[in-house]
Amino acid sequence: MASSTDIYTQLPLSFTEKALTSSYNDPALQSMLEEVNRMHHLLLNVQGNTPPPPVPVPPQRSAAIEKMRTTGNAAFRKGNYKEAINMYSHGIAMAMTRPPWEPAQLLKEELQVLYANRAQAHMSMNNWPEALADVSLSVDFKKAPNPKAHWRKGKALKEMGRLEEAKQALEHGLEFGVDADLKNLLKEVDTLLEEKRAKESSA
Amino acid sequence: MVALPSLISLVAPISYIAVLLGSLIAFSSLYRKRKAAKAASLEPWFPPHTARDIYLSLLHQEDGTVPESMLKAALVVRAREDIKRLITLRQSKNSLQMLLQKGCVGDDLWTRFQRADGEMEEELRDVVMEANAYKEGWGQVIFQTANEMVNHDRIRERAERVATDATTERAWWDQKRERASRELLGEERASKSDSDGVVVSK
Repeated sequence: MASSTDIYTQLPLSFTEKALTSSYNDPALQSMLEEVNRMHHLLLNVQGNTPPPPVPVPPQRSAAIEKMRTTGNAAFRKGNYKEAINMYSHGIAMAMTRPPWEPAQLLKEELQVLYANRAQAHMSMNNWPEALADVSLSVDFKKAPNPKAHWRKGKALKEMGRLEEAKQALEHGLEFGVDADLKNLLKEVDTLLEEKRAKESSA
Repeated sequence: MVALPSLISLVAPISYIAVLLGSLIAFSSLYRKRKAAKAASLEPWFPPHTARDIYLSLLHQEDGTVPESMLKAALVVRAREDIKRLITLRQSKNSLQMLLQKGCVGDDLWTRFQRADGEMEEELRDVVMEANAYKEGWGQVIFQTANEMVNHDRIRERAERVATDATTERAWWDQKRERASRELLGEERASKSDSDGVVVSK
């Protein structure tokens, strides 16, 4: 009996213009071919056409991303929020071009910081929805220690009048360690919630 | 003749044993055959392994138009799919064992799982061998690479969601603000008309 490793389905594939194509119109096959072609494209720029081991990471990209971040921070401190958002967005785009064989944890950490910073810049411009979207990613990627991100999430939700959600976000943040700012904001949200309830019951 | 009666008395037990053994053997062979046939007809745990099919199809393409770099790319993608499947298997193993002990699931499911598990081992060995054939020592790191790739995909998916989240939150917020300002305007107008003593028709 043939072993299961000897059995496979021969697919009609052809190699034209540096890419693999197939006459089969199976969506699963087509999307997989796309991924193979994308990987091929990446490997063409690598010595020996084999992905290098995850470490060591070439330092150029990390340095460029770090520069975007510090430039963004400088713009933020000058009150130039639009410019800061722009810089952080560039940094994010650059982090997303990391080859997939590099440590995923590195990408996660970079994105977490950049999105948290961009959220802060958005908040300074009262862009609460954008801030919420950005900082939610930061919180998802790094639960602790990340009290600033938890605070920003609570703040954005509070400013949009979503008090219940703000309360939840802040309480969630406090699960990962006591933080004075988080506690203060939670107190504010609680007061607002009480006021709201009092108003509703009297109405 | 002394032997005859003892021979006759032996026929009964011997034939009894023969019938017993015969039926046992027949039952066992039938049972095993049926079980094997059933196992073979069971649905596989995973859908077809497209990435593996692509790699092996390329490997067996004999016109020589496919460069080695493409084979390597196909092997990397195959390894990534293997890691995804391996994660699924590991995750379902414990819960499946528990369900099996409680009797919540049938033996069929367990047979299917074990077969998938065995095939997985063979598949991993095969990929390592292929990788080492291209470059000495690649087999030791290809699954590390594949693992990073799976994690990258997850991170990217989440990061891509930020833009759509921002759009939906923005739409909600703008609508809410518009509604609030309209209500405010309405109130103002109402209070104005009250003080003017003019009835405003709708």
